[in-house]
Amino acid sequence: MSKDDKPTEGMGLHEFFAKDPIAADRAFFGRISNTDRRGFLRGAGLATMAAMVGANIPFHRNMPAGFIPAAFASEDVLQGKDGLKLFNDRPVNAETPAHLLDDPITPTSRHFIRNNGVPPEDADPAKWRVKIDGEVDNELDLSIDDLKNQFEVVTMALVIECGGNGRAYFDPPASGNQWTVGAVGCANWTGVRLKDVLTKAGLKSSAVYTGHEGADMHLSGDPDKKPISRGVPIAKAMADDVLIAFQMNDGPIHPMNGAPLRLVVPGWPGSCSQKWLTRIWVRDKVHDGEKMTGTSYRVPNRQVAPGEKVATEDFVIIERMPVKSIITFPENNASVEGETEVRGHAWSGDRTIDALDISIDFGATWQRANLDKPVNSGAWQNWRANVKFPKPGYYEVWARATDSEGVAQPFAVDWNPKGYTNNMMHRVAVRVS
Amino acid sequence: MNRQNATAGLGLAGLLVLASFTNYVAIAEAGEFGRLVDGKGAEETYYACTGCHSDMLVAQQGLSRERWDELIDWMIEEQGMAEIERGERELILDYLSRNYGPDRPNFPLK
Repeated sequence: MSKDDKPTEGMGLHEFFAKDPIAADRAFFGRISNTDRRGFLRGAGLATMAAMVGANIPFHRNMPAGFIPAAFASEDVLQGKDGLKLFNDRPVNAETPAHLLDDPITPTSRHFIRNNGVPPEDADPAKWRVKIDGEVDNELDLSIDDLKNQFEVVTMALVIECGGNGRAYFDPPASGNQWTVGAVGCANWTGVRLKDVLTKAGLKSSAVYTGHEGADMHLSGDPDKKPISRGVPIAKAMADDVLIAFQMNDGPIHPMNGAPLRLVVPGWPGSCSQKWLTRIWVRDKVHDGEKMTGTSYRVPNRQVAPGEKVATEDFVIIERMPVKSIITFPENNASVEGETEVRGHAWSGDRTIDALDISIDFGATWQRANLDKPVNSGAWQNWRANVKFPKPGYYEVWARATDSEGVAQPFAVDWNPKGYTNNMMHRVAVRVS
Repeated sequence: MNRQNATAGLGLAGLLVLASFTNYVAIAEAGEFGRLVDGKGAEETYYACTGCHSDMLVAQQGLSRERWDELIDWMIEEQGMAEIERGERELILDYLSRNYGPDRPNFPLK
């Protein structure tokens, strides 16, 4: 192979394939003709292609050499995202490193992604419909224009945090995506209040819970299965800060964040905020959709020891997420001279933050940070402090939020079998010269 | 340059294109069975798991053999996974608990 044949960094996939399809195939997907019983695509190649088209490829053995799947029109699962760390490419799960969450309002490009299935191919907002049915007097079947025309449109900064944010710190480990601290964001969401839509539909006295459905496909490809369908008690659904949203940060919702329509239920596990929303099914009992039952998004009804076996019937549904904060500046392992501003965000589901304290001596003494009020209900609160270090050396900056009920963040993980609701204090290392 | 080296060179270059093309820096590290480490049972594990989800999800975990066994039951009962023949299941459980056990010998986020 001559030097000229080598693809250069930044060269497009189609250009690369056009030059020499067989060689490109081998390089890109490891696809070689006449090999073993697994056919053309093996190992990383098959995984890569499956990841990129977003599904298993049952007839992959029939694909000709040099073939580029038509689905590659939208090749990059993190297109439009900036600096996210990819945990999983099928389904797509990616978190934002803490220092990239520094903005008071999270830009669309830095909002984390937690998918449970495969996003819908057709997300045309002009054709999108959402149905409200079940325990209501008048079923509704609405377009996005109907939502805009029939209800008050509001914009609110709202926190969405994955129920499993912080799972990576569990010992023994808990199964699922090993989120560290960045499966959280607070974007500006524009939409209509779920409360107003439910009121128009007319809730019957039998209404107990919502059941949310979306247009994403189950990972197995089985059209009869839903990847996720969760809900909330009616009291939460009727809160003023729960939106059916069609815009994110004054622009379109990112495709991986649920475009063109999603729920935003701030302060509760992100899974309550159904993406690609197609239906609100008002139930006469606690919703029993996918990932509402068993041990999904549930924690034990009591404190348990790390590693303890807990009977399934002893698990309860997670409602509000606990008090938490994140340090977004300085970045972990930063070098500073003498002093620095320390800043970040704090939030507590259905509550506000009363105080944010900083320690640079492993929790022995604490300094109060300057804390903003939330811009609206459901938003996180920004805070900052100027921190002076007594002499050069290694320090850890710890942040501890205390909420409006007087509850503060713990130092250690409150272990539970499925790895949820970890609100331990965030710590960043600082080297002072 | 002999043929084997040429292929290896092209493979590496191809992965560089992949990395720049998709931002999947992580996949540039993938081996024959994606993110799964080599070893007895790697192939069977790879094909059993990646029919539905990415090997990246498997490689993050750190579960005991018993927990892996329960997780496979859950995937078969609730998530539409096909039954695995007994001998193959044992092979997969051995592989997973050896390489992705609670001591996390291959944890990619370390």
